[in-house]
Amino acid sequence: MSAAASPGEAPGPMIRVEDVTIGYGERIVMSGVSFEVRRGEVFVILGGSGCGKSSLLKNLIGLQKPMKGRILVGGRDVAAAEGDERQALLRSFGVMYQSGALFGSLTVHENVRLPLDEFTDLSLRQRDVLAHTRLKMVGLGHAGRRMPSELSGGMKKRAAIARALALDPPLVFLDEPSAGLDPVTSAGLDALILDLARNFGITFVVVTHELLSIFAIADRCVMLDASRKTLVAEGKPRTLADSSEDQAVLRFFRREAEGAQTDRSQPK
Amino acid sequence: MPASATGIEVGKAQDGGAFVSLTGALDVRTVGAARRDLVVKLAGVLTEPLSVDASGLDSADVSGMVVLWELANGLVVPGVRATISGLRPELEAILATYPSPDEVEAAISSPAESAGIHSLGRGALSIVADVRAMVEFVGALTSALVAGLRRPRAMRWPEVLRVVEKAGVDAFPLVSFVGLLVGLIIAFEAAQPLKQLGAEVFVADAIGIIVIRELGPLITAIVIAGRSGPALAAELGMMKVNEELSALETMGLDPLRFLVVQRVVAGTLLAPVLTLYSVALGVAGGCIVMGMLGYPFAVTWAHLQGAVHPADLLVGTTKGVVFGTLVAGLACLRGLQAGDGPAAVGEAATSAVVSGIVSVFTADALFAVLTYVLKI
Repeated sequence: MSAAASPGEAPGPMIRVEDVTIGYGERIVMSGVSFEVRRGEVFVILGGSGCGKSSLLKNLIGLQKPMKGRILVGGRDVAAAEGDERQALLRSFGVMYQSGALFGSLTVHENVRLPLDEFTDLSLRQRDVLAHTRLKMVGLGHAGRRMPSELSGGMKKRAAIARALALDPPLVFLDEPSAGLDPVTSAGLDALILDLARNFGITFVVVTHELLSIFAIADRCVMLDASRKTLVAEGKPRTLADSSEDQAVLRFFRREAEGAQTDRSQPK
Repeated sequence: MPASATGIEVGKAQDGGAFVSLTGALDVRTVGAARRDLVVKLAGVLTEPLSVDASGLDSADVSGMVVLWELANGLVVPGVRATISGLRPELEAILATYPSPDEVEAAISSPAESAGIHSLGRGALSIVADVRAMVEFVGALTSALVAGLRRPRAMRWPEVLRVVEKAGVDAFPLVSFVGLLVGLIIAFEAAQPLKQLGAEVFVADAIGIIVIRELGPLITAIVIAGRSGPALAAELGMMKVNEELSALETMGLDPLRFLVVQRVVAGTLLAPVLTLYSVALGVAGGCIVMGMLGYPFAVTWAHLQGAVHPADLLVGTTKGVVFGTLVAGLACLRGLQAGDGPAAVGEAATSAVVSGIVSVFTADALFAVLTYVLKI
């Protein structure tokens, strides 16, 4: 089913990136980037460290304006939106930041309840129930009373996902959801993302370089390359890994250092 | 874009109870209105047993389903638990994820406040623990200082100079401003009552003694405690949060010897210099007021020479040394005691200001008693 609403209701792709150039001041991080994110898919932005994945994400969520080109979310230009339109657009998607970005002065429960407090006219009991339900969904039903500083890295990320989902957004951005997590916790997060995507029709844009996660969750992905400063591949991860003709893409998926054989489990 | 509303139909069921039929969308945007609509429509209808048919829902989300949860738990019509039917399996699954009302209550209610006697005890224990930490810190710091002075080459003097510059040299404008104003204010305040006694010229004596022995060192220490203390505490607190202190320890470097000693030595060196500077400006402020009152500088100077003894300067400078050491030492202690997270850095900085000022005034009171007893 599709429980998603606004900008999920607008026709066309969920996100359209049109010939975008991104940079800071004079320095160009990437240019000529174009791709589309379809409704209901789990879309992964991947690439090595320092290739501009997080910069691209900042542009997608409207924290930074592209130097050139347009980014449309739900058919609306993120950079051009101002005032109430911008607020409405920002509320229509959830974002999980790399560090979790939970508010340190609020309990975990209050963190998750905050968007409901601010943007809905639900009663306190309803908001409490919804916040607790979100925390249960990410496996943190027991941790609502704790302060963010008392949570482990993985718990912070899960709490941040619960907060990103609080307003039932049709689109959720996740920045490095599994970085720094153990494989079991990381697999749990992957399962949660898939579950939410399949059952609620939520579109996920995930920035990551964790290969296992990419294969587990991605319907499609784009790969950025630091040296060429642009997008170098787009497609299903398995297809790219098996049949890409781009050496950088193959090296990434095969975890090969340039010119070196690093897999010690392989017989020589 | 406009949200499609939730259709709510309420009627009497064949079994004598009531039924609610839901259609359309039940999501985060429509749920508030749907809940109010439902309460209005159910008012006055015989509602037990209450059954809800949700088969007509086109779409729903977790937020929207909260109304169904309330119906099922008897929270819309108090005490009447509705039977929900017709939900699609995925929506059924969402509803199953919802907690029971008791579970929510237990998950968010804060633990009962403990009785006053308990908090009194905890407060006392934390004061004891704090005093103990300070004593331990003084011991460890003294030992590190002695070790540092024995091997002055290992002192990392560039770091000492950096702190002197940051905490001392950069504080000169503020100290100048406050020092001069203190001299001016004291002189003006003293001039009025002394004039009534015909002793206006003794303003110079008062300035000399008050500024040199008391206010100069005190005001300088407060400036350092308010300006440089929190900076030292925040710097060390940030290093702790960033695990830099742990990195030092695992490299076999004692943070006390590597970081704290330099800061305390810097505080001890810079405070008396700043004190003397502030005293000079305070006296200058007093001289300006004396000039405005019509006394030539020579008269003021003669009175100052008569009233101020070398012992007064010694007391003022000694206070500067002690206050500087206390403020820098306590600021470092608070920085090292910082907890986890950015908020802890702010707390450490606040705590450094409070302990700095409390310790300076306590030490000043001890000085007052000591100089009285020793007749200095």
